[in-house]
Amino acid sequence: MGVFSFSALKEDMAALDKLLFGSIVLLGVLGVVCIFSAGAGYAGRGWTYAARQLSWLSIACAAYVAIVSVGYEKIMDLAYPIYGVTLLLLLLTLLVAPAVKGAQRVIPLGFISFQPSEFAKISLIIVLTKFLSRYPPLTLKPFLGGIGVGLPALFLVLIQPDAGSGMVYVVIIMSMLFVAGPPLKYFFSMMIAGMALLPFAWFSLKEYQKMRLLVFLDPTRDPLGAGYNAIQSRIAVGSGSLWGKGFLQGMQSKLRFLPEPHTDFIFSVYAEEFGFWGSFLLLAAFGLVFTRVITAGMKSRDIRGKILVAGVAGWIWFQMFEAIGMSIGLMPITGIPLPFLSYGGSSLLSVSIALGLVGSVYASANSAKRYKQGRI
Amino acid sequence: MLEMRDIVDERLKVFLYGVFISLGVLLCGLYFFQVIQADKYVKLAYSNRLRLIRHSPPRGEIYDRNGVPLAVNETTFSIMGYPLDLDKPGMLPHLSELLSNHGIPMSVEDLERTIKRQRWAPYRVIRLVPNLTMAQMAELVADPEFPSQLFPLPVWRRIYPAGALAANVTGYVGEISENELKESPPGEYVGGDFVGKGGIERYYEGLLRGATGEEAIEVNARGRKVGVIDMRPSEKGQNIRLTLDMGAQKLASTLLQGYSGSIVVMDVRTGAVLVSVSSPAYDNNPLAWGVSAREWREITGDSNKPMLDRTIAGVYPPASTFKVLVALAALEENVVTPSTSYSCPGALRLPSRTFHCWRRTGHGSQNLVAALQNSCDYYFYHVGMRLGIERLLRWVKKFGVGVPTGIDLPGEAAGNAAGPEWKRTRFNESWYQGDTINYSIGQGYLLTTPLQIALMYAALANGGYLVTPHLMPPDVVKEPVDLKVNQEKLRLIKRGLDYVVSRGTGARAGHFGFRVAGKTGTAQNSHGLDHALFAGYAPADAPQYVAVAMVEGGEFGGRVASPMVGQILAHILSRPPEGRED
Repeated sequence: MGVFSFSALKEDMAALDKLLFGSIVLLGVLGVVCIFSAGAGYAGRGWTYAARQLSWLSIACAAYVAIVSVGYEKIMDLAYPIYGVTLLLLLLTLLVAPAVKGAQRVIPLGFISFQPSEFAKISLIIVLTKFLSRYPPLTLKPFLGGIGVGLPALFLVLIQPDAGSGMVYVVIIMSMLFVAGPPLKYFFSMMIAGMALLPFAWFSLKEYQKMRLLVFLDPTRDPLGAGYNAIQSRIAVGSGSLWGKGFLQGMQSKLRFLPEPHTDFIFSVYAEEFGFWGSFLLLAAFGLVFTRVITAGMKSRDIRGKILVAGVAGWIWFQMFEAIGMSIGLMPITGIPLPFLSYGGSSLLSVSIALGLVGSVYASANSAKRYKQGRI
Repeated sequence: MLEMRDIVDERLKVFLYGVFISLGVLLCGLYFFQVIQADKYVKLAYSNRLRLIRHSPPRGEIYDRNGVPLAVNETTFSIMGYPLDLDKPGMLPHLSELLSNHGIPMSVEDLERTIKRQRWAPYRVIRLVPNLTMAQMAELVADPEFPSQLFPLPVWRRIYPAGALAANVTGYVGEISENELKESPPGEYVGGDFVGKGGIERYYEGLLRGATGEEAIEVNARGRKVGVIDMRPSEKGQNIRLTLDMGAQKLASTLLQGYSGSIVVMDVRTGAVLVSVSSPAYDNNPLAWGVSAREWREITGDSNKPMLDRTIAGVYPPASTFKVLVALAALEENVVTPSTSYSCPGALRLPSRTFHCWRRTGHGSQNLVAALQNSCDYYFYHVGMRLGIERLLRWVKKFGVGVPTGIDLPGEAAGNAAGPEWKRTRFNESWYQGDTINYSIGQGYLLTTPLQIALMYAALANGGYLVTPHLMPPDVVKEPVDLKVNQEKLRLIKRGLDYVVSRGTGARAGHFGFRVAGKTGTAQNSHGLDHALFAGYAPADAPQYVAVAMVEGGEFGGRVASPMVGQILAHILSRPPEGRED
């Protein structure tokens, strides 16, 4: 876009995927509501948390619009430098970040803290899009090359150690590889190889991570530790029943039955207060997001756009599935935030930037003018 | 490329289907919990009928090498309750009154403080009243006024049958402090837990502690338990058998009666510690019960420092016991030969200063063996000057001075192998010849713990191997470090040590029926009377045990400390300990 102009912005707004943008705003607002409720019970500081999240939400919306107007094509040109900087930042996290609960994840930057592993998801998607569109993984070499491109980022978060983000990275890489069209036998061989490596992965896990997985398989193993959180979360969700207890009426989060209700267990707070229909609405909103994201890819005439949306969809899908699944005991407990709802600026902002890229794919596909201008 | 796009679009479609299937799975799960099973969870949530109980496991017991108990457990009872019930208005005043009716004075403020300290979540159990006997507990619970939501829980309390005899080794347990709680890995401990605070109790906390049992129970509306939801039984901690010999420990403690000081006895080959006495001692039993702030200040503020384990954390100049190392270094560095002699006139007169020999009248002509036997300072002044501080320091460090020995106890002091570099950084002064001269008789900046001296003598006795001392036999014995000492030269030193006892300054060590070899020491003390030292091993011809006695203000090593070493070594050798490791 180069020079900013009002008419161009207007044009961009016209090209905005309003359904996608609308569902993002809806989910974000639901998040602020839940954070207020969770914060009120957890620390008696509902307003502090909610106000902060609300300002993050407006920054996130602005970031979305900004990315759409810059256009993903321009960003794509810088894919490798961006990825390089990201890897450096991840390395820096290991060196300077203070350890929180035994893991280094956050770089403190004065008044805000900055979590490079969140933003690394975006640059991982960008660099894989660039690589896979340039070297389609139709033969073994580019297929393995694609994996190789993602490995450094994966390695750097795993040694933080942040197994949760590591899993998200794996899902992003797998989603993009799958959509980029390799023969399915490559894909399945990779999955079998991955399973063969599982025993080794087990030994590299920290004690508490092993415990969480074991507890997931057998909740009686640690009824009052990790397993107890699972029970309490399930009670919160289950007692919400059909219509929920109503806003601010959830007892599980108010009485500190739930650990970290404003981050890891935000869905339990939501489901307790808004019930099954509330959960249904939330899943529907997520369903709409996924539909719009994939549709943007399918409409795009640019192979890059198609591969890009797969990464973004895989990312959001996995975090959503894990966060909701763990609150009812379908998935093991990890610290993965629920996109849009969990408290935290890094997570909200990075997801919005990624969706901004998707919005830009959509805009390019729909704007005849852009097409004529040869922006594609 | 059109074909490529078709494949990709196809894959995108498959991907979206997959996502929707997963959304369906989540929706089914939510339907199951929020609609089908909702009643069950609503009941659990609204009635707050879930409770957590933490069962502390019995701690592993500690024994000496012959099975004499040093730390065991006895059952007491605690009255437990949940914040959920205790928060109800009127509960605490009622409870406080009930307790004082039964002779347990606890004010409402006391109760509030206890609750606050342990509170984590409203459903997690809290210990309100600890340390009740079975009779007290039964009387209290039988009272019709006793709130139905509270209940007694049997708990293990630590007692130390040996008490002050081995408190410096055993250590003690106490309620976990806020700082310790913060520093422990998340989930390991909760407020109110007991942890090892010193000695073996602290060092082997991980082994002794066992696994905490936990129980999630359901209670009825009156707060009584109606069923168990989940349960993990506690597992007892591991018992520990130390290398300590309580018979010898008791004798050593008697020998030190009335003195401040320490006696340590170690196996020269394995590093197993048989005796470690530090005097004055403290009784660890009251500490495990929990002492008041005033009592605690009395113990820690005592100027005799009963809680300082002098064996591992008291640092003293090694004095003449150090001469063996100077002698060995001089032989090894070929500075002297066995026949090199100096004629001692009673003092070394340098232009700047005069250094006296302890015997002002002089020793006459002294070779190495004679100089050790008579502890002739003059001889070692000369040897030290010729050796120079750098070469001497190399040998000092080789023998483990200046670094912790690695014994399995917390709080070990490193001592100080202070050399020119240390003096420069500490005082910003250069190293003078006088410093080296002081060094060569074990005075000056040099500081060691009694255990480090024992290690040094063990290495001489066992043919030049630096062992790692231990109180619990390790699973994998750490290989002693071979110091690569010339055996011929070592024999010469040992002959000197033999003569110290058979015809020299340490004769009193040999009065107990066994041939002891060793060295006396008198450490200058700027704060009062000199410290008396004796380090020795026995039997002199085939050494098995090394012993060091350190008596603060004991003046002459030969008079006070050497008979202690002689007696304790004779005691151990005359009753070979059972269950010896080797």
